[in-house]
Amino acid sequence: MTTQTYDLVIVGSGISGSIVAYELGRQGKKVLILEAGQEVPVDRSGYMRTFFKANAKTPESPYPPTTQDPKASTPDNPLGLPDPALENVPRYTVLQINSWRNPAQCYFTYPPQAPGLTGDSPEVVFAFASSYERIGGGTTWHWLGTSLRHFWHDFELKTLYGHGVDWPGGQQFYQALVPYYEKATKEIGVSGDKAAMDKIYTQFDVEPSGKYGPDYDYPMPPIVASLVDNLFATVTDMTVDGNPVYSSPTPQGRNSLPGDRRQCAGNTNCIPICPIQAKYDATVTLANALQTGNVDILYRTVASNIQVDAATGEVTGIDYITYDDHLGPPSGTGTAVGTKYLLAAHAIETPRLLLMSNKNAKFPDGVANSSGQVGRNLMDHIMYLAWGLAKDPVYAYRGPLSTSGYESLRDGAFRKNRSAYRIEIGNEGWQWAANDPYTTLADFVFGQNASQLNGNSVNQQGQPLRFNPSLPANSQLFGQQLVDTLNGVYIRQIRLGYLIEQLPDPDNRVQLSPTETDHLGLPRPLVTYRIRNDYEREAFVSAKAVSTEIFNAIGATEYTIPPPDPVLYGAPNEVTATNFQYKGNNFTFYGAGHIVGTYRIGDEKTNSVLNPRQQSWDHANLYMVGSGVFPTVATGNPTLTIAALAFQAADNILQDLKQSSEEEAEAMASSS
Amino acid sequence: MSNDMDNFVGLSVVLTGFSREVLAPDLDPVDIKSEYLPVFTANVTKESGDPSLVADIFQKYAMLQSQTLTPQQIGEAMLDPANGEAFVLACRKLIFMWYAGAWPTIVPASATAQASTVSDLISAKAYTASLVWQVMQSHPMGDSNYRYGYWNKPPVPLSDYTGQ
Repeated sequence: MTTQTYDLVIVGSGISGSIVAYELGRQGKKVLILEAGQEVPVDRSGYMRTFFKANAKTPESPYPPTTQDPKASTPDNPLGLPDPALENVPRYTVLQINSWRNPAQCYFTYPPQAPGLTGDSPEVVFAFASSYERIGGGTTWHWLGTSLRHFWHDFELKTLYGHGVDWPGGQQFYQALVPYYEKATKEIGVSGDKAAMDKIYTQFDVEPSGKYGPDYDYPMPPIVASLVDNLFATVTDMTVDGNPVYSSPTPQGRNSLPGDRRQCAGNTNCIPICPIQAKYDATVTLANALQTGNVDILYRTVASNIQVDAATGEVTGIDYITYDDHLGPPSGTGTAVGTKYLLAAHAIETPRLLLMSNKNAKFPDGVANSSGQVGRNLMDHIMYLAWGLAKDPVYAYRGPLSTSGYESLRDGAFRKNRSAYRIEIGNEGWQWAANDPYTTLADFVFGQNASQLNGNSVNQQGQPLRFNPSLPANSQLFGQQLVDTLNGVYIRQIRLGYLIEQLPDPDNRVQLSPTETDHLGLPRPLVTYRIRNDYEREAFVSAKAVSTEIFNAIGATEYTIPPPDPVLYGAPNEVTATNFQYKGNNFTFYGAGHIVGTYRIGDEKTNSVLNPRQQSWDHANLYMVGSGVFPTVATGNPTLTIAALAFQAADNILQDLKQSSEEEAEAMASSS
Repeated sequence: MSNDMDNFVGLSVVLTGFSREVLAPDLDPVDIKSEYLPVFTANVTKESGDPSLVADIFQKYAMLQSQTLTPQQIGEAMLDPANGEAFVLACRKLIFMWYAGAWPTIVPASATAQASTVSDLISAKAYTASLVWQVMQSHPMGDSNYRYGYWNKPPVPLSDYTGQ
């Protein structure tokens, strides 16, 4: 047991935990953070070396523990994925998606596919496509930096459009959040273009009522546009479902000016790692928190159980297990004790901890779970990718990964019929979409056609796709001809990514695996994930059609490859992970990294885990922050809202600590 | 070994389309060629099962290079199917290695998928030194030597990157 009693014990040192720690620490409150992963390194050069050496540049590739070991590859495990049962803090990685049916390689476990389903059945379960980090600073190590607010309409999806749920208070919730959005924008140090955002807020009737705050602006000027942005900005006379289509500079958590951190140097590598920390990450706030002198942190310390007083229902301590080496034995156990407790371990590990805490007699279904909602309503922005070749060079692979997007389709009457989306414009060519530059390279060196640039392929619009029609199909090039061909392709590559709003579905959930554990003996997550609403699937149909229209408008040729038919049954390595069919089309979806909804706030104790103050309905001194509190995933990337909610929670906790100490003083005075 | 290196670099110039000054400059602190030659030699020997294949490739190149031929003619002669499948494939893998910093394995077509290529990165240095970044007039992802805002302007000409 720790010797000191803290005002607040926090589980997790990502952006939410760090913000709350900093806010309390600067007010003189004593805070302890339990971090399951390894410490923040003194510099990031070690991470960079790991990243450079990794064959697959996935979001997790720079970070310990290393998830790729080609030397360990076997026919059954070609990527050399480590066995999660042997790791103290295993984590889910994008590389595990295609191993999703093999628990010896995939941290998550999944329920079996129900018998007799077809590729378009709503009940098909998929691999979850997004991942997170268990490390000091959390998942902001590999976030993109996109810092958009939600609209107030996003908080009233049920009232306005009849789908999902409202956030508690709806529009009032947004109004209360406005000052915290401003704090979050300053903490992250967002580079943004107020005029561009004003246009969007006006379009969606957010600005005229002044709800975004009188002092609203960005700390830094907008990141300059890329040449790719300039091409997509030429779309000016197109509408979708009554909304105009126009692009906007994206507010981004990266420095457009030198400051406390360096000015962005356009490494085109925001995910998985900014080599110069021009992009904000939570280690910035964590360092500030630690420098208050009031915040302590324990690394390699895994919260394993929450103790609850049966009489009062209050949390009395958080048990933890420590380790020295990621693959080694536990090195100790303990219990962290505070006045208040905060869970900030992201939307998979937080419900996992709550569900593991099932030894309390009055709470046999886990802590904070009287509603039965813990772990439910798992959501993501389900991504549709489209890619093409611009008619003229746009010099892709240069600049931050994304510097603008189409935000003008995020709301409208169509939300009664299908999910809304925003469209991210990529600067990284076909890197994400088609594993380039390597796919195109291999095609023209070995005479293959996986990119469709070197064969007789035609696209979905019937356009021939061979890059150079004067060359024969399956050409094998060398020398100057290879140089010219590769250059001609790479500098024209463009990519769109649609972030489709997923509805809360109580059956999409995180549970505890009944059979699989990690190396500490803790049960691993059992994840059930479907995309079963036509509401969401219709957005894929729209995204597909809109992509073609945009590519036509800018004179580009579309190269999007429709995925093969889903394979639902068979050997683990044969079944597909993220493919589905809808209305005669094959789709594959990608993860946005936006893991949302597993301990949501609400107005009623019966349908939510937390009250609107992000406080457990069941345990008055327990709070939770992070994207797990979101009742809906909404239409903006979540991190700015996560940060705003963390600032709001910090105020609530400070208020409650003050009240607790006043009550204690009164009790002491009356007893004396 | 120096003769092998000379032939390796010369052949690489012909096949990649990049100049000697880019691949193996006189003052060469990166010296990626010294990583690539042993990888090439070991992998080609292992995959072909022919202990003399690498020597045959270099010998053929040296012979062609001694004649008054253009780089295009030398390249075509090296990649002529008459040289044998393993010989040509080795030369093609040499191209891939320089461009990707990785050693390729070709996955043959199957009933459900067309032929494709997977590759194994040779080293961290090979990743940053690989030519794909040069041929796209950019920089390795994660290793930019440029300054803020460069992405708003066209790059310098391709020839500045290839040295040709």
